[in-house]
Amino acid sequence: MDLYPFFDWLDTSLLADISKAYGGVFAVVQMLHLLGISMLGGMVLVGDLRLLNIVMKDIPSEVVIENTHKWFNVALVMIIISGIFMSSAVALKLYYNTMFWAKMTSLTAGVVFVYAVRRPLLKFDHASIKPITLRMIAITSISIWFTVAASGRWIGFS
Amino acid sequence: MLNELLLNLAHWFDRQSWSTSIHESIYLYSWIETTHVLTLMVFLGMLCVIDLRMLGAIFPNVPASTIAQRLDKPMMIGFAVMLITGFLLYYAIPVRTTQSLWFRIKVVLLIAAGVNAFLFRAKMQASSETWDLDPIPPKRIRIGAALSLALWAGVVITGRTIAYDWFDCHKQLPYFMYWVVGCVDEMAALQ
Repeated sequence: MDLYPFFDWLDTSLLADISKAYGGVFAVVQMLHLLGISMLGGMVLVGDLRLLNIVMKDIPSEVVIENTHKWFNVALVMIIISGIFMSSAVALKLYYNTMFWAKMTSLTAGVVFVYAVRRPLLKFDHASIKPITLRMIAITSISIWFTVAASGRWIGFS
Repeated sequence: MLNELLLNLAHWFDRQSWSTSIHESIYLYSWIETTHVLTLMVFLGMLCVIDLRMLGAIFPNVPASTIAQRLDKPMMIGFAVMLITGFLLYYAIPVRTTQSLWFRIKVVLLIAAGVNAFLFRAKMQASSETWDLDPIPPKRIRIGAALSLALWAGVVITGRTIAYDWFDCHKQLPYFMYWVVGCVDEMAALQ
Protein backbone atom coordinates (compact mmCIF):
# COMPACT_ATOMS: atom_id res chain seq x y z
CA MET A 1 0.00 0.00 0.00
CA ASP A 2 1.50 3.30 -1.09
CA LEU A 3 1.09 5.95 1.61
CA TYR A 4 2.24 8.80 -0.65
CA PRO A 5 -1.26 10.38 -0.86
CA PHE A 6 -1.37 10.61 2.95
CA PHE A 7 2.05 12.31 3.13
CA ASP A 8 1.10 14.58 0.25
CA TRP A 9 -2.07 15.59 2.11
CA LEU A 10 -0.18 16.03 5.40
CA ASP A 11 2.36 18.32 3.69
CA THR A 12 -0.35 20.82 2.78
CA SER A 13 -2.59 20.38 5.83
CA LEU A 14 -3.32 22.94 8.58
CA LEU A 15 -0.89 21.05 10.83
CA ALA A 16 1.87 21.63 8.27
CA ASP A 17 0.99 25.33 8.06
CA ILE A 18 1.45 25.64 11.83
CA SER A 19 4.54 23.43 12.18
CA LYS A 20 6.31 25.15 9.27
CA ALA A 21 5.42 28.72 10.27
CA TYR A 22 5.95 28.65 14.04
CA GLY A 23 9.38 27.37 15.08
CA GLY A 24 8.53 27.91 18.76
CA VAL A 25 5.41 25.71 18.58
CA PHE A 26 7.43 23.04 16.77
CA ALA A 27 10.10 23.15 19.51
CA VAL A 28 7.51 22.76 22.28
CA VAL A 29 5.87 19.81 20.51
CA GLN A 30 9.32 18.32 20.01
CA MET A 31 9.86 18.65 23.77
CA LEU A 32 6.60 16.75 24.39
CA HIS A 33 7.83 14.09 21.95
CA LEU A 34 11.13 13.77 23.87
CA LEU A 35 9.34 13.71 27.22
CA GLY A 36 7.00 11.03 25.86
CA ILE A 37 10.00 8.99 24.71
CA SER A 38 11.63 9.39 28.13
CA MET A 39 8.45 8.31 29.90
CA LEU A 40 7.85 5.39 27.53
CA GLY A 41 11.49 4.32 27.82
CA GLY A 42 11.35 4.60 31.61
CA MET A 43 8.20 2.46 31.86
CA VAL A 44 9.59 -0.15 29.44
CA LEU A 45 12.94 -0.26 31.25
CA VAL A 46 11.51 -0.45 34.77
CA GLY A 47 9.13 -3.26 33.72
CA ASP A 48 11.70 -5.18 31.70
CA LEU A 49 14.54 -4.77 34.20
CA ARG A 50 12.16 -6.12 36.84
CA LEU A 51 11.41 -9.15 34.62
CA LEU A 52 15.19 -9.62 34.33
CA ASN A 53 15.46 -9.40 38.14
CA ILE A 54 17.78 -6.39 38.00
CA VAL A 55 15.71 -3.68 39.74
CA MET A 56 12.90 -3.64 42.32
CA LYS A 57 13.47 -7.31 43.14
CA ASP A 58 11.43 -7.02 46.34
CA ILE A 59 8.31 -5.80 44.52
CA PRO A 60 6.19 -8.45 42.72
CA SER A 61 6.78 -8.22 38.96
CA GLU A 62 3.00 -8.31 38.36
CA VAL A 63 2.68 -5.04 40.34
CA VAL A 64 5.52 -3.41 38.40
CA ILE A 65 4.16 -4.47 35.00
CA GLU A 66 0.60 -3.38 35.84
CA ASN A 67 1.65 0.06 37.09
CA THR A 68 4.10 0.82 34.30
CA HIS A 69 1.68 -0.29 31.56
CA LYS A 70 -0.80 2.52 32.37
CA TRP A 71 1.85 5.20 31.89
CA PHE A 72 3.26 3.40 28.86
CA ASN A 73 -0.14 3.98 27.22
CA VAL A 74 -0.07 7.69 28.12
CA ALA A 75 3.47 8.05 26.75
CA LEU A 76 2.61 6.21 23.52
CA VAL A 77 -0.34 8.55 22.85
CA MET A 78 1.92 11.58 23.54
CA ILE A 79 4.55 10.26 21.14
CA ILE A 80 2.12 9.47 18.32
CA ILE A 81 0.25 12.80 18.47
CA SER A 82 3.42 14.90 18.74
CA GLY A 83 5.09 12.71 16.10
CA ILE A 84 2.32 13.32 13.55
CA PHE A 85 2.59 17.09 14.16
CA MET A 86 6.38 17.02 13.74
CA SER A 87 6.10 14.88 10.60
CA SER A 88 3.77 17.42 9.01
CA ALA A 89 6.64 19.96 8.83
CA VAL A 90 8.69 17.70 6.55
CA ALA A 91 6.13 15.16 5.37
CA LEU A 92 7.39 14.61 1.82
CA LYS A 93 11.04 14.57 2.92
CA LEU A 94 10.21 11.85 5.45
CA TYR A 95 8.35 9.81 2.85
CA TYR A 96 11.65 9.39 0.97
CA ASN A 97 13.74 8.86 4.14
CA THR A 98 14.84 5.25 4.78
CA MET A 99 15.45 5.85 8.50
CA PHE A 100 11.92 7.18 8.94
CA TRP A 101 10.53 3.92 7.57
CA ALA A 102 12.92 1.94 9.78
CA LYS A 103 11.47 3.82 12.75
CA MET A 104 7.87 3.30 11.62
CA THR A 105 8.50 -0.41 11.08
CA SER A 106 10.12 -0.85 14.51
CA LEU A 107 7.39 1.27 16.14
CA THR A 108 4.71 -0.95 14.58
CA ALA A 109 6.63 -4.03 15.74
CA GLY A 110 6.86 -2.52 19.25
CA VAL A 111 3.13 -1.73 19.45
CA VAL A 112 2.17 -5.19 18.14
CA PHE A 113 4.63 -6.83 20.55
CA VAL A 114 3.29 -4.92 23.58
CA TYR A 115 -0.42 -5.38 22.92
CA ALA A 116 -0.43 -8.79 21.21
CA VAL A 117 2.39 -10.61 23.03
CA ARG A 118 3.81 -8.94 26.15
CA ARG A 119 0.59 -7.66 27.68
CA PRO A 120 -1.57 -10.83 27.17
CA LEU A 121 1.25 -13.10 28.35
CA LEU A 122 2.11 -11.08 31.44
CA LYS A 123 -1.54 -11.02 32.56
CA PHE A 124 -0.97 -14.55 33.85
CA ASP A 125 0.65 -15.22 37.23
CA HIS A 126 4.35 -14.68 36.50
CA ALA A 127 5.28 -17.67 38.67
CA SER A 128 3.45 -19.86 36.17
CA ILE A 129 5.59 -18.57 33.26
CA LYS A 130 9.04 -20.07 32.63
CA PRO A 131 11.81 -17.66 33.79
CA ILE A 132 13.50 -17.95 30.37
CA THR A 133 10.27 -16.80 28.70
CA LEU A 134 10.07 -13.77 31.01
CA ARG A 135 13.70 -12.93 30.24
CA MET A 136 13.13 -13.31 26.48
CA ILE A 137 10.11 -10.98 26.66
CA ALA A 138 12.19 -8.38 28.50
CA ILE A 139 15.18 -8.57 26.16
CA THR A 140 12.96 -8.46 23.04
CA SER A 141 11.04 -5.48 24.44
CA ILE A 142 14.19 -3.49 25.31
CA SER A 143 15.72 -4.29 21.89
CA ILE A 144 12.63 -3.20 19.95
CA TRP A 145 12.17 0.08 21.83
CA PHE A 146 15.89 0.86 21.66
CA THR A 147 15.66 0.41 17.86
CA VAL A 148 12.62 2.72 17.72
CA ALA A 149 14.41 5.49 19.63
CA ALA A 150 17.78 5.09 17.86
CA SER A 151 16.28 5.03 14.36
CA GLY A 152 14.13 8.04 15.32
CA ARG A 153 17.22 10.02 16.31
CA TRP A 154 19.00 8.90 13.17
CA ILE A 155 16.29 10.46 10.97
CA GLY A 156 17.89 13.80 11.83
CA PHE A 157 21.30 12.64 10.62
CA SER A 158 20.19 11.03 7.35
CA MET B 1 33.95 39.64 32.85
CA LEU B 2 32.32 36.20 33.18
CA ASN B 3 31.41 36.26 29.48
CA GLU B 4 35.07 36.87 28.56
CA LEU B 5 36.22 34.07 30.85
CA LEU B 6 33.73 31.58 29.44
CA LEU B 7 34.58 32.57 25.87
CA ASN B 8 38.34 32.22 26.54
CA LEU B 9 37.74 28.75 27.99
CA ALA B 10 35.65 27.86 24.93
CA HIS B 11 38.40 29.08 22.58
CA TRP B 12 40.93 27.00 24.54
CA PHE B 13 38.78 23.88 24.06
CA ASP B 14 38.25 24.82 20.43
CA ARG B 15 42.01 24.88 19.75
CA GLN B 16 42.41 21.29 20.95
CA SER B 17 42.70 18.70 18.20
CA TRP B 18 40.28 16.27 19.91
CA SER B 19 37.56 18.90 19.85
CA THR B 20 38.00 19.33 16.09
CA SER B 21 38.21 15.56 15.59
CA ILE B 22 34.86 14.92 17.31
CA HIS B 23 33.20 17.83 15.52
CA GLU B 24 34.45 16.80 12.08
CA SER B 25 34.05 13.03 12.46
CA ILE B 26 31.45 11.43 10.23
CA TYR B 27 29.85 9.22 12.88
CA LEU B 28 31.38 9.90 16.33
CA TYR B 29 29.52 13.15 16.99
CA SER B 30 26.23 11.56 15.89
CA TRP B 31 26.82 8.55 18.13
CA ILE B 32 27.61 10.76 21.13
CA GLU B 33 24.48 12.81 20.50
CA THR B 34 22.37 9.69 20.02
CA THR B 35 23.70 8.22 23.28
CA HIS B 36 22.96 11.53 25.02
CA VAL B 37 19.35 11.54 23.78
CA LEU B 38 18.71 7.81 24.31
CA THR B 39 20.03 7.93 27.87
CA LEU B 40 17.10 10.29 28.53
CA MET B 41 15.02 7.11 28.68
CA VAL B 42 17.19 5.77 31.51
CA PHE B 43 17.69 8.94 33.52
CA LEU B 44 14.48 10.87 32.88
CA GLY B 45 12.47 7.65 32.58
CA MET B 46 13.48 6.53 36.08
CA LEU B 47 13.04 10.06 37.44
CA CYS B 48 9.56 10.10 35.89
CA VAL B 49 8.60 6.92 37.76
CA ILE B 50 9.93 8.32 41.07
CA ASP B 51 8.24 11.72 40.62
CA LEU B 52 4.95 10.15 39.50
CA ARG B 53 5.02 8.05 42.69
CA MET B 54 5.61 11.22 44.71
CA LEU B 55 2.61 12.74 42.91
CA GLY B 56 0.55 9.69 43.85
CA ALA B 57 0.01 8.70 40.20
CA ILE B 58 1.81 5.34 40.08
CA PHE B 59 2.58 2.41 42.43
CA PRO B 60 0.05 3.57 45.09
CA ASN B 61 0.53 0.35 47.07
CA VAL B 62 4.32 0.43 47.14
CA PRO B 63 6.09 2.65 49.72
CA ALA B 64 7.40 5.82 48.08
CA SER B 65 10.84 5.41 49.66
CA THR B 66 11.13 1.89 48.18
CA ILE B 67 10.54 3.22 44.66
CA ALA B 68 13.03 6.06 45.18
CA GLN B 69 15.71 3.78 46.65
CA ARG B 70 15.36 0.97 44.09
CA LEU B 71 15.52 3.27 41.08
CA ASP B 72 18.20 5.59 42.42
CA LYS B 73 21.16 3.60 41.08
CA PRO B 74 19.96 3.12 37.46
CA MET B 75 18.86 6.76 37.43
CA MET B 76 22.30 7.96 38.55
CA ILE B 77 24.01 5.69 35.97
CA GLY B 78 21.86 7.37 33.32
CA PHE B 79 22.72 10.81 34.71
CA ALA B 80 26.46 10.03 34.64
CA VAL B 81 26.27 8.94 30.97
CA MET B 82 24.28 12.08 30.11
CA LEU B 83 26.80 14.27 31.89
CA ILE B 84 29.79 12.71 30.09
CA THR B 85 28.15 12.74 26.64
CA GLY B 86 26.80 16.25 27.31
CA PHE B 87 30.29 17.52 28.09
CA LEU B 88 31.64 15.85 24.92
CA LEU B 89 28.93 17.56 22.84
CA TYR B 90 29.92 20.90 24.39
CA TYR B 91 33.62 20.10 23.90
CA ALA B 92 33.06 19.38 20.19
CA ILE B 93 31.42 22.78 19.52
CA PRO B 94 32.53 24.93 22.48
CA VAL B 95 32.40 28.50 21.13
CA ARG B 96 28.97 28.37 19.53
CA THR B 97 27.57 26.46 22.52
CA THR B 98 29.01 28.94 25.03
CA GLN B 99 27.30 31.72 23.07
CA SER B 100 23.97 29.91 22.93
CA LEU B 101 21.10 31.44 24.89
CA TRP B 102 19.48 28.02 25.21
CA PHE B 103 22.62 26.35 26.52
CA ARG B 104 22.93 29.07 29.16
CA ILE B 105 19.29 28.65 30.24
CA LYS B 106 19.81 24.87 30.23
CA VAL B 107 22.78 25.14 32.61
CA VAL B 108 20.75 27.40 34.96
CA LEU B 109 17.84 24.93 34.88
CA LEU B 110 20.22 22.01 35.50
CA ILE B 111 21.57 23.76 38.59
CA ALA B 112 18.01 24.56 39.75
CA ALA B 113 16.95 20.92 39.16
CA GLY B 114 20.02 19.73 41.10
CA VAL B 115 19.25 22.03 44.06
CA ASN B 116 15.59 20.94 43.97
CA ALA B 117 16.62 17.25 43.90
CA PHE B 118 18.97 17.78 46.85
CA LEU B 119 16.34 19.62 48.94
CA PHE B 120 13.63 17.17 47.85
CA ARG B 121 15.72 14.17 48.90
CA ALA B 122 16.55 15.75 52.26
CA LYS B 123 12.90 16.62 52.87
CA MET B 124 11.81 13.13 51.85
CA GLN B 125 14.33 11.34 54.04
CA ALA B 126 13.39 13.50 57.03
CA SER B 127 9.67 12.94 56.77
CA SER B 128 8.99 9.79 54.75
CA GLU B 129 8.22 7.69 57.84
CA THR B 130 4.98 9.62 58.32
CA TRP B 131 3.65 9.28 54.76
CA ASP B 132 5.69 6.52 53.09
CA LEU B 133 2.71 4.20 52.76
CA ASP B 134 0.22 6.90 51.72
CA PRO B 135 -0.97 6.42 48.13
CA ILE B 136 -0.84 10.21 47.74
CA PRO B 137 2.06 11.92 49.55
CA PRO B 138 1.66 15.32 51.31
CA LYS B 139 1.33 18.52 49.29
CA ARG B 140 4.91 19.74 49.88
CA ILE B 141 6.27 16.48 48.44
CA ARG B 142 3.93 16.67 45.46
CA ILE B 143 5.04 20.26 44.78
CA GLY B 144 8.69 19.13 44.87
CA ALA B 145 7.95 16.31 42.42
CA ALA B 146 5.99 18.59 40.06
CA LEU B 147 8.81 21.15 40.19
CA SER B 148 11.32 18.42 39.40
CA LEU B 149 9.34 17.29 36.32
CA ALA B 150 8.88 20.91 35.17
CA LEU B 151 12.58 21.76 35.56
CA TRP B 152 13.68 18.65 33.68
CA ALA B 153 11.13 19.38 30.95
CA GLY B 154 12.81 22.79 30.71
CA VAL B 155 16.23 21.14 30.48
CA VAL B 156 14.95 18.93 27.63
CA ILE B 157 13.40 21.78 25.63
CA THR B 158 16.41 24.09 26.04
CA GLY B 159 18.71 21.19 25.16
CA ARG B 160 16.76 20.67 21.96
CA THR B 161 16.59 24.36 21.07
CA ILE B 162 20.40 24.75 21.21
CA ALA B 163 20.19 23.58 17.58
CA TYR B 164 18.19 26.71 16.62
CA ASP B 165 20.10 29.91 15.76
CA TRP B 166 17.33 32.38 16.70
CA PHE B 167 19.57 34.22 19.20
CA ASP B 168 23.05 33.44 17.87
CA CYS B 169 25.68 36.19 17.82
CA HIS B 170 25.50 36.68 14.03
CA LYS B 171 21.88 37.83 14.41
CA GLN B 172 20.91 41.47 14.94
CA LEU B 173 20.16 41.56 18.68
CA PRO B 174 19.75 44.30 21.32
CA TYR B 175 22.85 45.01 23.48
CA PHE B 176 21.22 43.34 26.50
CA MET B 177 20.69 40.11 24.55
CA TYR B 178 24.31 40.17 23.32
CA TRP B 179 25.29 40.36 27.00
CA VAL B 180 22.95 37.52 28.01
CA VAL B 181 24.17 35.34 25.14
CA GLY B 182 27.83 36.32 25.73
CA CYS B 183 28.56 37.87 22.33
CA VAL B 184 31.71 39.63 23.53
CA ASP B 185 32.91 40.90 20.11
CA GLU B 186 29.47 42.19 19.12
CA MET B 187 29.17 44.06 22.43
CA ALA B 188 32.60 45.66 21.87
CA ALA B 189 31.56 46.69 18.34
CA LEU B 190 28.49 48.48 19.70
CA GLN B 191 30.47 50.45 22.31
